[in-house]
Amino acid sequence: MRKYAVIYRSVLMENLQYTLNIAMSFISYFIFIFVFINLWNYIYSAPDSLIAGYTREQMIWYVMITEALWFGAPAGTVARQASSDIRSGNIAYLVNKPYHYTLYILARYTGGWSVQLPMFAVLAAVMGTAMVGPLPRFSPLHLLAAIPVVILGLTIDAVFRICISLISFWVEDANPFQWLYSKMMLLIGTIFPVEIFPAALQPVFKLTPIYTVCYGPAKLIVDFSADKYIEIILAQALYLGAAAALMLFLYGKGVRKLHVNGG
Amino acid sequence: MNAIEATELSKTFRVRRKEKGMKGSLRALLHPETEEIKAVDRISFNVKEGEVLAFIGPNGAGKSTTIKMLTGILYPDGGNVRVLDIDPSKKRKQLAYEIGTVFGQKEQLWVHLTPYDNFQFFGAIYDLSARETEARIRELGEIFELGAFINTPVRSLSLGQRIRCEIVASLIHKPKVLFLDEPTIGLDPVVKESIRSLIKQMNKELGTTIFLTSHDVGDIEKLCKRIIIVNSGRIVLDESMEHLKYHYLNKKIVEAKLQEETLLQAGEGITVLKQKGGHVKFEVDTEKMPISDALRLIGGENVEDINISNIPLENIITEIYKAENIGTT
Repeated sequence: MRKYAVIYRSVLMENLQYTLNIAMSFISYFIFIFVFINLWNYIYSAPDSLIAGYTREQMIWYVMITEALWFGAPAGTVARQASSDIRSGNIAYLVNKPYHYTLYILARYTGGWSVQLPMFAVLAAVMGTAMVGPLPRFSPLHLLAAIPVVILGLTIDAVFRICISLISFWVEDANPFQWLYSKMMLLIGTIFPVEIFPAALQPVFKLTPIYTVCYGPAKLIVDFSADKYIEIILAQALYLGAAAALMLFLYGKGVRKLHVNGG
Repeated sequence: MNAIEATELSKTFRVRRKEKGMKGSLRALLHPETEEIKAVDRISFNVKEGEVLAFIGPNGAGKSTTIKMLTGILYPDGGNVRVLDIDPSKKRKQLAYEIGTVFGQKEQLWVHLTPYDNFQFFGAIYDLSARETEARIRELGEIFELGAFINTPVRSLSLGQRIRCEIVASLIHKPKVLFLDEPTIGLDPVVKESIRSLIKQMNKELGTTIFLTSHDVGDIEKLCKRIIIVNSGRIVLDESMEHLKYHYLNKKIVEAKLQEETLLQAGEGITVLKQKGGHVKFEVDTEKMPISDALRLIGGENVEDINISNIPLENIITEIYKAENIGTT
């Protein structure tokens, strides 16, 4: 694992040179969250009312957390790297190194968000405290407990995106699939908690990565419970195992039919 | 002992075909057609340990496909290949520890990091300890004279400096075989010469086997003792450089300054290239006419100055390509 730690460290070193660029993307996050704060303030007519079991503060913090994950761990590397390497033939120059290509992409992605996500977490904490107020029943211990859930969630998301990228071994362009996945995560996963959808749809959403990638981490920070924690961790372990197996299978099959001619 | 053994190695690609225009596009949508292209067609060759081999051919000849099969990137459709007694398609990862690759047109260095950080990275990738990596960086840094820019981000380096760093990155794990694909492409003559002498030095001091592909005849002439020419996926020539240069076409270029103008007639074995006043330049095919007979035509006592040279290697290679009914690109 040392080599993947070194890949991670190298990306970290690269990304540390771009903290100013990252800070510039705070503007988009601020605008996005500002709109949602006003929207939810309008929807929650009475300050104490509940929607789908969430107070106004919980609902806004939920969006702030999922959006911080979205902005702080941009999926460009995992969504496009493998796909563009396969299409351009660049993969030929990466697969003959003594590491597993998909884990190389994963280590690069993790190195990328390790710089960016903490910056967005601080921004979210400052904005939330100043504009929404503290979360009811929040404890720093819940936040600590949620950290592995956040990491697992981001890893599951990355593995799914790599799987989609690997489809490029068989189809000309995997971007339309990537687009569908992205929109599903953004529109359904980050904006509303699962409970807000009709009861008939909730089990369906629980079967999608939304449950383990967006809902799980945010839910545990805004409304922690030990039962929920165990349920989400177990679901994540299951998802990660299945997604990783799928990723290794697709890569193993795809790389055998790698078609890169020319110099 | 052989470092590389390839027997009846073959690779076929299936490519899509489409007729021209919108009609063709629609037809291809409904009835997609494919065509098989034999990129490599039953080639066999060996490379000895410590040998420097030029593996050349025009574009599309199958050079890169062969390298990719030798390095485990592509799976052969037929034949056998062993590199350092390892089957690349079955044990690619194991082979990766034993070989190095430099693709002149592809960067493997991380451009935002310095060469030093890159070398540390590659050292870790190849499971070297921090101490081993450090010692290796020092050793290669001296050979390749990297001192002045080892701590400058790669993106700020000149092309020549970058290529030197690319080669060092490929050598960090002491590979026994180094595959160089167009290592001097885009470099100016001075830097090319310096890269060539570094590669030569490395082969001499470290005994690294070198498998070189290049369109630059200078690379081949200065570095290689043996040359394999491929075309349309097949080997068309496998000779020593010496044999190629001095015997393959048996042609000599004679350039003479004469005291008195002598009109030289083209004939069997003689091709007049240039004739003006007392200056004459002609090509002699020594298979058809001995060089002594050719010199007699201009009269030995009439010669003020003379230069006899071998035909340039570039011309020989072009002739071989043409003889195979193809054009150089």
